[in-house]
Amino acid sequence: MTSIGPDEGIWHFDGISATRHHPRLDWTADGFALVLEEGTSGLHPWSDLVPLGGTGGRSIYGLRGVNGWRLAFAGPPPAPFAVHLPLPARYGRWIDRLGLWWALGLFAGLAALVVLIALRAPAWIAPHVPIAWEQKLGDAMVGDLGGRLCETPGSRAAIEKLRRQLGADVPIRQIGIANVPMINAVAMPGGRILLFDGLIREAKSPDEIAGVLAHEIGHVRNRDTMTALVRQLGLSVLLGGFDGNVGGAINGLLAMSYSREAERAADLYSIGAIRAAGISPLPTAVFFDKLGKLSGGERAERAMSWMASHPVSAERKAAFEQSAVKGKRYVPSLSAAEWRAVVNACREDPDVKKAGPIFGF
Amino acid sequence: MGEGLPMADDGKRAFGFSGTWRDYAPIAFTNLLLTIVTLGVYRFRATTRTRRYLWSRTRFVDEPLEWGGTGLELLIGFLIVLVVLGPPFLFLNFGMQALIFQGHVALAFGIGFVAFAIILYMSGLASFRMLRYRLSQTWWHGIRGGSNDKGWAYGWSYIWRNFVGAFPAYLLMPWAMISLWNERWNAMSFGPFAFRGEAESGGLYKRFLIFYQLPFLLVIGAIALPFLFDGRMKPVEPGSEPSTALLLFFMVVPLTLFLILPLIALAFYSKFLRVAVDGLSLATLDFRFTARTKDWFKLVLGDVALVILTLGIGAIFLAYRHWKFFIDHLDATGEISLSELTQSTTAAPGQGEGLADAFDMGAF
Repeated sequence: MTSIGPDEGIWHFDGISATRHHPRLDWTADGFALVLEEGTSGLHPWSDLVPLGGTGGRSIYGLRGVNGWRLAFAGPPPAPFAVHLPLPARYGRWIDRLGLWWALGLFAGLAALVVLIALRAPAWIAPHVPIAWEQKLGDAMVGDLGGRLCETPGSRAAIEKLRRQLGADVPIRQIGIANVPMINAVAMPGGRILLFDGLIREAKSPDEIAGVLAHEIGHVRNRDTMTALVRQLGLSVLLGGFDGNVGGAINGLLAMSYSREAERAADLYSIGAIRAAGISPLPTAVFFDKLGKLSGGERAERAMSWMASHPVSAERKAAFEQSAVKGKRYVPSLSAAEWRAVVNACREDPDVKKAGPIFGF
Repeated sequence: MGEGLPMADDGKRAFGFSGTWRDYAPIAFTNLLLTIVTLGVYRFRATTRTRRYLWSRTRFVDEPLEWGGTGLELLIGFLIVLVVLGPPFLFLNFGMQALIFQGHVALAFGIGFVAFAIILYMSGLASFRMLRYRLSQTWWHGIRGGSNDKGWAYGWSYIWRNFVGAFPAYLLMPWAMISLWNERWNAMSFGPFAFRGEAESGGLYKRFLIFYQLPFLLVIGAIALPFLFDGRMKPVEPGSEPSTALLLFFMVVPLTLFLILPLIALAFYSKFLRVAVDGLSLATLDFRFTARTKDWFKLVLGDVALVILTLGIGAIFLAYRHWKFFIDHLDATGEISLSELTQSTTAAPGQGEGLADAFDMGAF
């Protein structure tokens, strides 16, 4: 048996009261004991001793199973005692075992992998979501848009004609005209497309609408809405409400954006569809030009194009323009009467809810 | 009694902080690195390392404090919050929108109101649980603090006191803040002794009223200013030189908004914390907090400079600065009997302050 103390530089708290004790330490290869005026505590096995880190030059140990029990040395513990002691954890057990730099490298590699998977995962998961689920989800999210869908017999027939020309083999469940004064069109989960009344009024001809509609049909065909939904769901779980900013949580279906590749693919589909239908792509090109001016001109768009999800309007305009075949005789997508029915759908539908921004739009 | 530890007999403060930023820098930088490469998972362990350091360099009378919490507890707290708050947040993100989309605006706002009430309740609960967790993991002489109260009732108290405080045009907010502080601390203990929070809100009103009236005065001033300089109002004609009064107006308004208002809020908060801590005692110990508005101002200015001059990296030192500030201005007088300071019998919570974390709450 070896002994040391009592000594001012060795102290002990028993975890029962705050009184400071200066014990004598007795130890063998199996364990150690604290000899106090009140009596002896131990023999405790060495393995019960837990080193505590971050103690500012002092060496402090706890005892497994006794809260507040402390044995402390003013500096490092005396060498013959110390040989029995484990080292305190520094960065955490796993990292200490690997070494800081190895751990950093390993974690960085894993992190890159996780980020890559997280970015790609929505596009992998979305095609495997059953169509029936997506349809139910779309119904739950949109419903009848609070009675804001405009429809007359004439507009229904005209829209149906557009659908047959542009997406006959795409599982579209509905193309609706929404009484919302916004220059926009959206594809919703479950194969539903909304053309906003503001967009239709802004358009000069049915062919402009055809290009935009075909673009949205492209999104439906590629199930981009589901991908975006999965991504938003994942993001809002990971970031949304848990960054301490409840109100700033990612907001809304309109905030739901597609990747640039998805937008390009939808444009490609649109160009292909209107070509197949014999509709001129030039009105759509003009329309993108107009949209570009609305969003602050090409320079502003280029400056933000790294972040924006839509391809720059000028690029899209060029793509549509280039697809035009010189000398070809194009047919209008709708007759003048059909186009009028679409334009006036919201004015002529007797039971549509009155126009106005939907809250949250 | 031979074991009594008198305080302030040798001119030394009861609390002292002996850390240096050079000591802390390796902890701060490795925490940052590890947190980045683990995509944030290390953050819980990082918090624990920071606290271990800060507590161990904080002396109370003759012995440093010790932080006993673990990263795992904080992780568990975070996961619990994820499960509890996840569904309501998902509803607010998706469900509410869907309801509005379908035209059920009243229902959407009704549920939104309930969600708001739940969030308010949870905020109260969070501030209680945070204090309880921190005390339960703060050790001194092998003794810890804690509370047997789980804070469920405090959550309600938080709602109704804030409501009563806000109802008469916000005039009772100082009362609400102080009474909540007292209620929180009255549920806490260290060892066998209960904390007593007996602060009174009366002394806060002078500053509160200055803070409270300022926006009104500003509006009046903003209207009066052009008259003072111009004598009469002139319509600004396109192309004409803007008048001095107008220029002044556009300088004064942002200046007051971004400088004077926060400054007065700081003055109020500084007084609040002095009053609140001065009313706090534990057995024969009386606590005191000495930071004045000018100290707070320097702290905030230092924070801003530190973060801006280091392009954001300096933010990793904020926790250190704030803790040092807090301890440097905390004092206690009285006497403490070590043999009577026996182990706390309160239940130690097994999970950390995830809720307070979710609401981004500060320490005090």
